Parts: sequence; structure tokens; C-alpha cells
Amino acid sequence: MTAWHTLNPAPAIQRRVGRLILVVTAVVVVLVLRLWHLQVLEGDRYVAMARHNRLRLRLVEAPRGILYDRYGQILVDNRPSFDVYLVPEDVTEPERTTARLADLLGMPAEQVAEKLAAGRIRPFTPLLLKAGVPERTMVALEERKLDLPGVGLRVHPIRAYPAGSLAAHLLGYVSEVNQAQLAREEFRDFAPGEPFGQAGVERRFDAFIRGIDGGEQIEVDVLGRITRLVDRTEPQAGFNLVLTIDRRLQDAAEKAFAGKNGAVVAMDPRSGEILAWVSNPAYDPSVFTQRISVEEWETLANDPRHPLQNRPLQGQYPPGSIFKLVVAAAALESGIITPSTPIDCPASITLGNFTFEDWKREGRGVMDLRRAIAESCNTYFYQVALKTGIEPIAEMAREFGLGGELGLGFGDESRGLVPTPAWKQQVTGEPWYPGNTLNTAIGQGMVLATPLQVLTMVSAIANGGALYKPWVVKRVESWQGEVVEEYGPEVLRRVRVSPETLRILREGMWAVVNDEQGTGQRARIPWIEVAGKTGTAQVVRKQLGQDRRGPKDHGWFVAYAPAHSPEVAVIVLAEHAGFGSAAAAPVARAVLEAAFPLPTVEVPRERRPVAPAVRQPTAPLPSPEPVFGD
Amino acid sequence: MPLDRRLIQNFEWRIVLTAFLLAGLGILSIYTATATATLPLKQHLYLRQATWFAVGAVFLLVAVTINYRTAGRFAYLFYGLAILSLLLVPFFGRVGLGAQRWIKLGFVAFQPSEVAKLALVLCLARYFEDRKERLTALRTMGGAALLTLLPALLVVRQPDLGTALILLSAGIALMLLVGLRLRVAVPVGVGLLALAPIVWTFLKAYQKRRLLVFLNPNLDPLGAGYHVAQSKIAVGSGELWGRGFMAATQSQLNFLPENHTDFIFAVLAEQWGFVGSVAALGLFCLLITRGLEVSMEAKDLLGSLMAFGITATIGLQALVNVGMVLGIMPVVGIPLPLLSYGGSSMVMTLTAIGLLLNIRMRRFLY
Repeated sequence: MTAWHTLNPAPAIQRRVGRLILVVTAVVVVLVLRLWHLQVLEGDRYVAMARHNRLRLRLVEAPRGILYDRYGQILVDNRPSFDVYLVPEDVTEPERTTARLADLLGMPAEQVAEKLAAGRIRPFTPLLLKAGVPERTMVALEERKLDLPGVGLRVHPIRAYPAGSLAAHLLGYVSEVNQAQLAREEFRDFAPGEPFGQAGVERRFDAFIRGIDGGEQIEVDVLGRITRLVDRTEPQAGFNLVLTIDRRLQDAAEKAFAGKNGAVVAMDPRSGEILAWVSNPAYDPSVFTQRISVEEWETLANDPRHPLQNRPLQGQYPPGSIFKLVVAAAALESGIITPSTPIDCPASITLGNFTFEDWKREGRGVMDLRRAIAESCNTYFYQVALKTGIEPIAEMAREFGLGGELGLGFGDESRGLVPTPAWKQQVTGEPWYPGNTLNTAIGQGMVLATPLQVLTMVSAIANGGALYKPWVVKRVESWQGEVVEEYGPEVLRRVRVSPETLRILREGMWAVVNDEQGTGQRARIPWIEVAGKTGTAQVVRKQLGQDRRGPKDHGWFVAYAPAHSPEVAVIVLAEHAGFGSAAAAPVARAVLEAAFPLPTVEVPRERRPVAPAVRQPTAPLPSPEPVFGD
Repeated sequence: MPLDRRLIQNFEWRIVLTAFLLAGLGILSIYTATATATLPLKQHLYLRQATWFAVGAVFLLVAVTINYRTAGRFAYLFYGLAILSLLLVPFFGRVGLGAQRWIKLGFVAFQPSEVAKLALVLCLARYFEDRKERLTALRTMGGAALLTLLPALLVVRQPDLGTALILLSAGIALMLLVGLRLRVAVPVGVGLLALAPIVWTFLKAYQKRRLLVFLNPNLDPLGAGYHVAQSKIAVGSGELWGRGFMAATQSQLNFLPENHTDFIFAVLAEQWGFVGSVAALGLFCLLITRGLEVSMEAKDLLGSLMAFGITATIGLQALVNVGMVLGIMPVVGIPLPLLSYGGSSMVMTLTAIGLLLNIRMRRFLY
């Protein structure tokens, strides 16, 4: 029994602690002896090692993972870049070295001298003198290496874009971590100059793509020349990504949309997979692979056409007549109308002192919902919206994912705007007027949506009510092909809309493309049934009547095909291009044509015509030219 | 409560002085280690460390004023909160240096594993105090072992092998102190060794590598082996009198990675040589022996165990860290108390020292 339960526990603990003091003393004695050994007995040796035998760690950069399309086509790859470095401490004759380098690299001598002087603060750290020199310069430097102590050459992988600026906004770009990032806690493991995915997939999946750098421990002599490679750890390449993008659709979309500004996105409505992603004007991601100059950056960042903006995700536009689908759904669900309720479509309606016009100057008579959608009659929807009221319409819009983030996971996603009386009161201090309801009914006024939101909404209509989260990466794979992560469809929610209502909307969208008076006839494809909806978003200046010759309206078109079992949905937004029917519908058609190419008919072998080229020659053909020599 | 004059009389100035001297030495070493650092962020580390020292001093003062028996009363709650924060790390933790160890609270990030060290010591002290009639019973020891293992396992998953080992050692030291018999301890130890292969599978690749590198330093000259090789060169080239203030080329020129955290002793040893290193070790010795004396003189089991646990935690870390820097112990990533850069470690160590003073001050009150 220990003595602890007695009043005086001292003897037991004193005995044990006393023993412990002995142990501590013994350990300290060992440490002191070790210090004596290292610092006094062997101190000379270590001083010599510190002075002469300089072990250096040299980074061997890991190549980033490759980005593939869904069928394994390379979208982003790596290529070697040849860089020239200086280790200031090892440059023995600065003037001669500066002159020679300036000559070989085609740089002003002052610039080399300046860099060298700046590097004196950290004399042992290799300093990048010039990145991406041509291979022949590399060879020339290699030959004169002995005359140029302190000059180092390095090959390191940088991003290559075999497809140019294809899908640039989705893939993103890679550049060195900048000073502002380095100052942040989350970048505490980064060294200056390290490559980092700065946008799009490259940023979102950087941790997967970046790989693990290797290193070399090298021994250098007094002149800084490598005397021995002590050890090398191979870098581990980053993981590859297989994207959901379909290169064929992407190419078709880029080609059809060339020269226009705006966005084109294709999606599989059955899963939310992004198949194509175009944001124009685009930028060339390869300008970022070498250090980008301040001027270059500012030119890009201050371009009035905003090439860095990721329009499908960040651009907010009035959805125009596409919003009529929301109004129709709200009216049907609240029982205000049935598909066959006859409503007149006059040239204009008057509300108080204001006249609200249809986009067609002449009235079009009484019509049902299907025709109203197909012909996109404004006055029909004004009346329906007034009966339904703004609240159910706003609620329906939010149900379809408007006015909120979809969670694509990269880039700053815009939320869009679904205006309500409460919102208006809070922001403008003004009450909601019936006129606001009318404007909202045709997707004008305050309502804003991103192209991706509209596409997701229409995909939900097409697939029978599932609002899928858009996604772009199917798989993360190691270089050995092992699947590291796999992603799949994710339903954000099932929209609370009856299947019957959705069916009616789809019927209306079919009519848009296929009816005689439909506004989307330019999206018709003879061998596949297409459904769609046009939209024209008025540009405010023109709406206010201040400048009739101002920029043209934005044209929208959203479509999916095959109409009865949709596999591909496409959204097109053409900025300042006029009516959606003319500006956007042909682009959507081009994308759908790429998705569903004209089927070729299989003809049985015996019925195939025999091509002349295939015929076997009965006699040797005469030589077309006389044969010389031998 | 009127202030008892004996409280002031028994205030142990030597402990405070030693601790503050060590902290000052730490800030100075961090300054020299990071003066030429490549990252702008790192150049201000010594200022941050000084701030943490000031915060720690306030915590020390608070720990001195609150009776340690009150601290004992809340020990279980403190332990519970520490476990909770360890559990939260995987969900809210910030990743740094390949591990998830920090939790962000507003604009400060703290390391729950540092809090866990003090929490475990307080909890075990209270636990044994509650069971002083049957201290050596197998049940009591089993409970103590579970209390120790829980935070240790949570910490090893982060992964932070060094802190996990410190937690285990502190627990075992306290159990031995209250009378764990060797004839119990040895079979249990053997049993735990048998579990080692299982633990091995839990370790991250780099941790396994570090242990293997300890057995054979040539295995990984770029990673852990490089650390030790460079650390030895830095320490050795300090010679008898050191290279002088700001003249330590090895540790300053970034030959030695992580020099301001786990390898801060190498910076000190290169600058101030054998004389300086032994002086620093002497300060730690003073702190440890004074701490053990406090433990011996405490008037109740709670105070005695608390003082012992605190001293053991600080002492173990100090000795293992220095052994690691000198290449005679494996590189397991343990900070040098009061010297290594790190806010949580500084604040918790000073708080613990406050408690130590507190126990000493009240040795005549019961």
C-alpha cells in the first residue's frame, strides 16, 4: 500500500522523484557529452564541412497532371521549359559573367547586372535569370559552362495547351503564386515561384494536379560547380483528371460561336455533366506559363471586353423570354390557367398610364399556352403573370435554381437575382408595382440569371424534374491509371412541379422549334427532334429610349435533343447580337449536330458499288516518268 | 479573500526568471534564423513570437492567481473540451505542413494537441486524487491508461507523432509516480510493443521514414536525413564559443529547413557554441529540478501530481528535442518548449508554469 492516503505523502513521492532527478541528470550529461563531441572534439571538421563541402538541395519540379476530355483526348499537357539560373555567391567574376550572359541570352547587360546585385541578399539561393530560353541557347551555355561559374541550367515542366485557348475559362491557367497569396496562411507551405492553378479546374483541383516535387542533394565545390550528386528523390507527377467535357462538342461550340461574345454551355440533362463550356472573348492560357509581365497582366485585366470573366458562371443577364417557362409553370401549378385556357395576344396591353407592348407590332389573336410559348407572346404572359402574382413566380424561379449558387465549385459563381416585393422595398425603398410584375413576366426588369442557371433549369424541365448540380470532373487518376477519386451526378433537389406541368412545358418547347410560327425554327435538325426556347434580353440603354442606336440586345437560346428523351441540353447567350432566334439558335443547332451527327446507313457488302480505285489492275501500270540511273 | 503573506513569500522567482530567459533566447534565435528568410511572412515571425510571449505571460499571471485546487475541480471539463477540439480538427482543421493540426478561432489558429498536454496532466492528477485509497489497483491504472490513450490516438491521426509520444510518456510517468508496479508495467509494456506493428500501419509514410532514417540516416539524405545532417553541421560548426550573433551561416542561409521550429536549438548552438548550448541546457535543468522540487514539497496529492506532470511534459520535450537536434534521438517533430516558434506551445507552456508557481505558493496553506 502506498502512503498516499495518509496525511503526509511526502516520503513516497520524494523517493520516486529523487530517483527521477538522477535519470534527468544522466540524460543531461549524455547531451552535454554529445555537444562536447560535436562542437569541441569534431568542431573543426564541421566548420570545414560548412565552409567547403556544401550540400545543396535542388528542387526537381513535379509535372502537373494531364487534363483529358471524357474520351481521353488531351486538353492540357506539359512541355519542358529551359531556364537559366544564377547562384550569386558562386559568380567569381561578375563583370565577365554578366557580359557573356548578356551576349548569349540576348539581354541588356545592365539587366543581368541588376538581377545579380539584387540576388546578393540571398547569395546561395539560385536566382532565375531567364525562363524559356531556346534549346540552342541551352546548348551554347552548356558548352561554356566551365567559363561561367555560378550559372545553372534547369529544365522544368510547364503547361502546354495543344488545343490553344479551348475551354480556357473552364480549365483555368497556371502561374506562380503571387506575393499577395504568399502572405496568406493557406499558402504557408508554398515557396515563391511555385506554380499554382489560378483559375478553373486547375485551381479547384490544384492539390490533386500539382504532384509532389522531388529533390536532389548535390555537393558543390568552392566555385559552386556540382561535384557529386549525393542523392535524388524522383518527383511524383500530379494526378490526371478526366473531365466531363466532350472535345467534339467543345470544338463545334467554339467554331459556331467564333467572333461572338457571350457563353455557350452544353450539359447532359440526365446527370448535370458539363459537355462543353465556351466563354468569349477568351484568353490564351499559355501566356501565364512563363512569368507574365505587369503590363501584360494589366492589359488582360483592364480589357473592356473582360476576357478573364467566366461568363457562363459569372455573367448575369436578364433571361428574357426563357423566363416565360417559369411564369407558365407557376400559373399552371397554382391553377390560374390550364394548357387550353384561351387568352388573347394583342399588340399591347395598358396598365394605368403605361403601355406594355408585344414584340410583334400586330396582335396575334386568342391562343393557348403551347402557342404562347412557341410564339413567345409577351402580352399573353403579362396577363397570366398579373393573375398569378409575383410571389408564386419568384418561388417557382427559386425552385428551378435561379437566384442562388449551384455549387460548381470553382470561380466566383454569381447568384443572379429573383426580385420580390420585399427585396425591392429593402434595396430601393420603393413598393412593388404591377408594372414590375409585367416586366418580370418576360424576364426583363430586375430579374437576372447566369447562363449556367438557365441551362440547369431547362435540364430539369427536360429530365422530368431533377435539378442536377453541374459538374466537370469525372475521375482523378494516378499515372498508373488507378482511380483516386470518382465523381458522379448529384441531385440538388427534385423541383416541386407536377410531371404534367413539366410535360406541358416540354410540349411548348417542342413547338418553339417545330411549329410553323415557332421562334426557334433555326435550331431545327432534319434527323433529330429538337426542343428549345428563344429569349432576347433588352439592353437597358435602349429600353430607356436614350439611345436608339446603342448596343443591340442579348440573344438567348436554350435547346435540348432528342426532344422526347433528352441527352444533350445547350444554352447560348450572344451578347449584343440581337434576337435569340437569329443570333443564338444556329449556334445551339451546330452543337447539337455535333452531338448527334447524321447517321450513316449501313449498306450490305454485296450491294456496295465497287469503287474504281479498289479494282485490281490487270496489267502493270506504265510508269508515268522515265526511270533514270541504276 | 485577503491575500496571504505567505503566498508572496513562497512565490518562486527563479522559475519565472528561468522561463522568461528561455523565451527571450527563443525570440532572439527566431530573429536570427528568419532574418534572411525568403518569405516576407517569415521575417516577422520573431515579432509574432514576442506577441505570443506577452499573451502567455498574461495566462501565467491568471494561472498563478486561481487556486490550483479550483483548476483541479475543472480538470475533467478541461480534458473534455480538449478531446472535443481534437475531434473537431479533422472537420474544421487547417492543413499545414501535410498535417491537420490547427483550428481557426476568429483570427487566431490554435493547436488542440498543445492544449491536450496540459489537459491530460490536470485530468490524471484529479483522477488519481479521487482514487487515492486504491491508487495501485488495476482498475485505477486501467482507467488512467484509457485517459492517456484517447488524446494520444487522436493526435497520432493528425498526424503528430511527436506530441502523441509526449502525451503517452507523460501519462506513463504519472502512473509510475503514483506506484505502478514494475511487475505490472513490464508485461503491459511488452504487450504494447506487440501492438507496435498495428500502430506502424497507422503511421503516415513520412513518419515511418523518419523512424527508419533514425536507424539508418543515409536512407533519406533529402528528407529527415538531410535535417539531421545539416543540423549536425550547424551545431558542430559552432565550436566552443560559437560563431557569434547573426554570424551563423548554416542555420541562417536556409541550409537547415524548419530552423525556427523544431530545429531552433541548432541555430542557438551554432551562434553561441558549446558554452551557449550548455547554458541553455542548464536553464532547462534548473526549470526541471525546481519543478520536481515543487512536486516533492506540495502538500497534497493533487498539487504534487500536477507539478510533476507539468515538469515531466516540459522536461521530456526539452530533452527529446535537443537529443533529436544532436542526432541521438529520432526526428519525431517535437518543439523545444519556450524556444521553438509557435503560439499555442508558448501560451500553454507559460500557463503550465503559472500553475507550477501556484502549487508552490500554496504549499503552506493546507
